[in-house]
Amino acid sequence: MKSTKRYEVYRTAIAIAIALALGYILILLSAFPKGDMAFFDKLKSAIKDANDAFRTFLISPVLKHRRGHWVFNLRGFIQWINESVPIMITGLAVSLIFTARHFNIGAEGQLFLGAAIATGAAIYFPSIPIITPIIVILIASMVGAAWSAIPGYLKSKWNASEVVTSLMLNYVALYMGLFIIKTFLRDPNAGQLVSLKFSDSATLFLLNDRYRWHSGILIALALSFALWFVMKKTTWGYKVRLIGNNKHFAYYSGINTQKTFFQVHLLSGAIAGTAGIIELLGYYGRFVWLYSPGYGWDGIIIATLARNNPIYVPVAALFLSYIRVGAKTMGRYTNIPPEMVAILQATIILLVTAEAFLSQMKQRAIEKEAKHTEEAIVGGETNE
Amino acid sequence: MNSVLSSILSWDFVASGIRVTTPILLAALGALVAELAGTPNIALEGTMLFSAFVGVIISGFTQSLWLAVIGALLTGIVMSSILAYFSLKLKTDIIMAAIALNIFASGGTIYALYLLTGDKGSSASLKSLVLPNIDIPIIKNIPILGNILSGHHILTYVAIILVFLIQYMLYKTPLGLRIRSVGESPDAARSVGISVFKTQYTALIISGMLASLGGIFLSMGYVSWFARDMTSGRGFIALAAQALGGTSAYGVALGSLLFGFSEALSFSLQFLNIPYEVTQSMPFIITVGALAFYAWNKSRNKRNRDI
Repeated sequence: MKSTKRYEVYRTAIAIAIALALGYILILLSAFPKGDMAFFDKLKSAIKDANDAFRTFLISPVLKHRRGHWVFNLRGFIQWINESVPIMITGLAVSLIFTARHFNIGAEGQLFLGAAIATGAAIYFPSIPIITPIIVILIASMVGAAWSAIPGYLKSKWNASEVVTSLMLNYVALYMGLFIIKTFLRDPNAGQLVSLKFSDSATLFLLNDRYRWHSGILIALALSFALWFVMKKTTWGYKVRLIGNNKHFAYYSGINTQKTFFQVHLLSGAIAGTAGIIELLGYYGRFVWLYSPGYGWDGIIIATLARNNPIYVPVAALFLSYIRVGAKTMGRYTNIPPEMVAILQATIILLVTAEAFLSQMKQRAIEKEAKHTEEAIVGGETNE
Repeated sequence: MNSVLSSILSWDFVASGIRVTTPILLAALGALVAELAGTPNIALEGTMLFSAFVGVIISGFTQSLWLAVIGALLTGIVMSSILAYFSLKLKTDIIMAAIALNIFASGGTIYALYLLTGDKGSSASLKSLVLPNIDIPIIKNIPILGNILSGHHILTYVAIILVFLIQYMLYKTPLGLRIRSVGESPDAARSVGISVFKTQYTALIISGMLASLGGIFLSMGYVSWFARDMTSGRGFIALAAQALGGTSAYGVALGSLLFGFSEALSFSLQFLNIPYEVTQSMPFIITVGALAFYAWNKSRNKRNRDI
């Protein structure tokens, strides 16, 4: 098991390295100056600008340049951590559902509708410190679970493709959510469509007031650990992993696969449902989205990078939000569109999920391991 | 109430319904071909977006419609080839590969737009061409019929012709038979000597080219520029239209019409104080209901057979 695991690490590292190299090339291309200059001079100036921009891209979430020194960039750091929270949570939800080899891609709708309905509670619920945010988050969680239960039920009961149904329900959730905000919870004094402000004690407590570092990260990390525990240390988690590996084998070993599938959808929805409201409670203090924030899709990237293992999800989420914050900062100082990060993300997904990418390396790793085991067995026999 | 009724029953409404339906229909036909081959193409969204972009850029820089259309179709072929190569050769899960392509298209078009025009939001600064509307001689002079049949965008006519062509291709030609048998059971198809890889690759290419046509309709007909993320989910809606329409091109056309006209309807019904969110989400709810019904029916039949 060890050497195949090491191979997965290598493969992820190589995918990230290729993506970053591609990122440098993209930055270099867009740094090419216009106007009349010899090509060589243009290239020289482009490389110089690209190096600066790439350095900003790589280190700005933690360091900034101030009076000739590199100092800790608190603002960038907090932005980095804050942005990782919702995608960490959706990453957990998606990794759970992918472990069971189901493709419910409805996290987007679950978090949106969950946030919209829980917004009502966050505005009108009596203010009790600590209790109110917990109840608000639980409401969002239940909405998410209910929303995920629809494709889950249709799939586990009648085998309707969960890919299409969950995708459709994303749109229904988006329209329903906007409708709820617009008709019942809209702030009439605000210029654009936002909800009324949440009651004071509904918001999450802040770790840093100035840049609004909220405690959502603690919730997300706790959730990661809890899900890891469930998946690796409980019978239910074992069942889910078994089903994901081979559902026929699981079925004939007496596992009620339909029921377990349905439970997986419920739990995944319950997790995804909280992703949106936690960010709203922590950072914005009201409902602010006019369209889906896209965290459900990010969750897919993160689950892929983390190989569906909840304990790696925070690492993957922090990585993704790191390169995004880096790209945004770079976009502020240069003209390079931060959306170029999407190209890197796509490259990473393609290379990480391509089973045959570097498969020779895997083959060698497996052979080496087999040899070791064989030697161990042979060695053991001669000892006897 | 009367004004709403008359606005719904007007030719403008029909025309706008047909306009909204066209890109959905083209992409939905692509979804159908890929689905029947057993390789669902979730990358339609990204393919449409990238083709819309390439069409605008090429027509803007070369002022040639032909080059623009050819370039957009090539884009569809390239995107589908990447999808096919990764999913069929490198064994990436086809849904994951498609999601990657969609992300790539969203960011890649913005990046390339900036690189080529210096703009990040839209290609408004670039003077690009549009494909023409077609007036059918003689028919356009017949009072009612002329309004319905004539004066639409050229790709609308292409889409209508393609409905019949795709139906014919899928159910009357050897290629169609191969596509369907590979989708039904790859192993059985392989056992009679059909190359599964080649067939699925072909199906994905066809699917990508159809999505490309849908994409250039958006940027070279519906409007005359490219804007970031301008497909806004139409590729996914096409998947829904296909899921609703089933396995025949005619059914898919009906599914696309439902989506197209309910979007057109949602603008009209706003005057009746029916919020557009309700009308907009209706086709999606209907699709989920229809899928549930199909699946329920199928599982019931299967159970009956088992007993």
